[in-house]
Amino acid sequence: MFKAVVQDAKIWKNLLTAISTLIEEADFNTSEDGLKLRSMDPSHVAMVDFEWSKEAFEEYVCDKPTNIRVNITTMLKLLRRSKSEESLEISYDEERKKVDLTLRGKILKKFTMPTLESVEEEVPTPKLSFNARVKLMSETLKEIVEDSETVSDNISFKAKEDKLFVKASSELSNVGMELSKTDGALLELDIKEDSDATFNLNYFGEMVKAGSATSEVATIEFSTNMPIRLEFEMSQQGKLMYYLAPRIEAE
Amino acid sequence: MSKLISWNEWIGSKYYSNNQVYKSNQINLLKNSNSKTCLICRGGKLLCGKIRCPVIAKAEALLKLKTTVDNQLIQGSTPPAVFVGRIGYPKINIGPMIPPFFGDTEILDTPELWMGKKIEDILDYRFSLIRGKSRSDIFEAQNPGKLLGELQELAMGKQPVDTEATFKKKPNSVLALNEYSPPFGPSAPLKTFKTANVSVDSRIEKNFNDTDMTASDSIYSLYNAGVLITRIQRTFSLGMFGLSKRRKLVPTRWGITAVDSTLSKRLVKEVKQFPTIDEYQVFTFTNIGNIYAAIFIPERWSFEWIEAWYPKTFWNLLGQSPELMGDFEPYEGRSTYASVGGCYYSARLALAEKLKKDRRQATGLILREIHPEYTLPVGVWNVRESIRALLKTKPMKFDTFPKAMSHALKELTIPANDWAGNSKIMRDALFQKKISQYFHRSKNEIS
Repeated sequence: MFKAVVQDAKIWKNLLTAISTLIEEADFNTSEDGLKLRSMDPSHVAMVDFEWSKEAFEEYVCDKPTNIRVNITTMLKLLRRSKSEESLEISYDEERKKVDLTLRGKILKKFTMPTLESVEEEVPTPKLSFNARVKLMSETLKEIVEDSETVSDNISFKAKEDKLFVKASSELSNVGMELSKTDGALLELDIKEDSDATFNLNYFGEMVKAGSATSEVATIEFSTNMPIRLEFEMSQQGKLMYYLAPRIEAE
Repeated sequence: MSKLISWNEWIGSKYYSNNQVYKSNQINLLKNSNSKTCLICRGGKLLCGKIRCPVIAKAEALLKLKTTVDNQLIQGSTPPAVFVGRIGYPKINIGPMIPPFFGDTEILDTPELWMGKKIEDILDYRFSLIRGKSRSDIFEAQNPGKLLGELQELAMGKQPVDTEATFKKKPNSVLALNEYSPPFGPSAPLKTFKTANVSVDSRIEKNFNDTDMTASDSIYSLYNAGVLITRIQRTFSLGMFGLSKRRKLVPTRWGITAVDSTLSKRLVKEVKQFPTIDEYQVFTFTNIGNIYAAIFIPERWSFEWIEAWYPKTFWNLLGQSPELMGDFEPYEGRSTYASVGGCYYSARLALAEKLKKDRRQATGLILREIHPEYTLPVGVWNVRESIRALLKTKPMKFDTFPKAMSHALKELTIPANDWAGNSKIMRDALFQKKISQYFHRSKNEIS
């Protein structure tokens, strides 16, 4: 049997929103230690890697590892009904193959939704090492993304010396930004080697916007023409991580 | 402040009746129009600042019939064909279209039968249809008068219907062109109209009588029942579907795209349920001065349609080099009207139809080159039927996008860079890496 209680349903709603930017259906892997979800978007360009340890839950019971595949969009639709100060209980009934979502507030609401046949093979994590690591406020990252979106579909990051340079350009216009620790824009900046890479803003923008709701602090890690890793730190024992493959225009 | 440019080779002397008036094959376009103005406007937005599209006006002038209908009485079998005008909306003209002869006239108003026909043939069909015009109001669909009632019954007809019309004056000898619908022939104000009994298509009649069904549901169910798109468009235009209180007449040229757009949207929704294709597929097809190529990419649904108009083609008369223009929609679809107009939706319909038949989804990139042999815009049916034909050819299969692309380029004449500059799907396919490429540690990585 599987049962988990989250004190604030809103947290779970935000997390699911963040996951749903990339995928519609996915397997939650539940085990004694907690809950994991790792899945690529249908085009295999990006990946979400999500983990919540059992300590992060108010209550957590899982007597054997199970894969529960659900339609994230459906689950999110039900969770959108949650109000502030409602707690959420997620439980899985193996016999009925149904997931129950119970919202406890003034009214006790129990939503039941179907699960799907688990088909996904386990997705490996990309084997990557990063030469640049930047920690900044989620709000700052969101601002960068929104500024870039005004001119382009792509965003380029360049880490050099003690600065992070952001560039977005289209045929006619472009925007350039400079961020450093001394100016207070960055919390941490760690560069092993100058790095420069470009990413699709449709993906990156969605990730940043949805992820920002889950955490105040974000970390991006990248190397020249390699995938980027975007991590949102959780106050509790959980992590939300995205990977996005680069765009390389000069072959 | 005008610029004179030469018209391209015309389509045979048969239609030159006004040679005295139009001695020079030249068209006046305002100087401030650039080479892309016409392509963006296509006679619809009047971006050059003239009250009428000079390109269409000139073409129509050149195409005046030598022999005119010299009679205020027309008797003949209508295919059945009807017309709903756009000028004066919401007070518009409606009326039947009748050829001056009897027999099986279905082909005159059935673009599904026109693949492989020459432009001259299509003009002949359209010239032979005399259009009667009578004033109506779009809301008349909620309470049809005598003429509209007769037209609606006619439009449901399974086969050509014998009719007789008298006009208030002799029909003019104009051929009216536009980007969306097939050309329209001579017209005159309608005085009287009589039809023989019509044997109606019961599938259409059932939807016509159902005033609780939305227009969208009706046209989709008719499409799935195998009713020709032309017939759906014809009946839709006459305001024959939808909730009783919401029925309206829809100008023919708007109705065509409304039906293409609605049908393709519903088909795409179904297509998204299917698994993606397994490899890259390339289709190519050539038809009256048009070269088409479709590249299917093994990813979830999205669609891009790009047209390249050569210099001296209808919408690029001014240009020195081919002009490219296109539109794209991601998986989620698009919320704004495509800038290229109705052809986008016709192409999307043909593509979605093919994918649904294969029970697969894919990202579809469809490219079209328009060469000067394609002298006139004959309507968006040409795009729909050509892409249907294109996707009926046997595809070549490839394991990478560059291989698929280079095969398509063998048939096309515009170079890869020009396409890529205008194609989001192509740039993504060439430049965007996959995260799955990084699951195994590569040798040049620092450990």
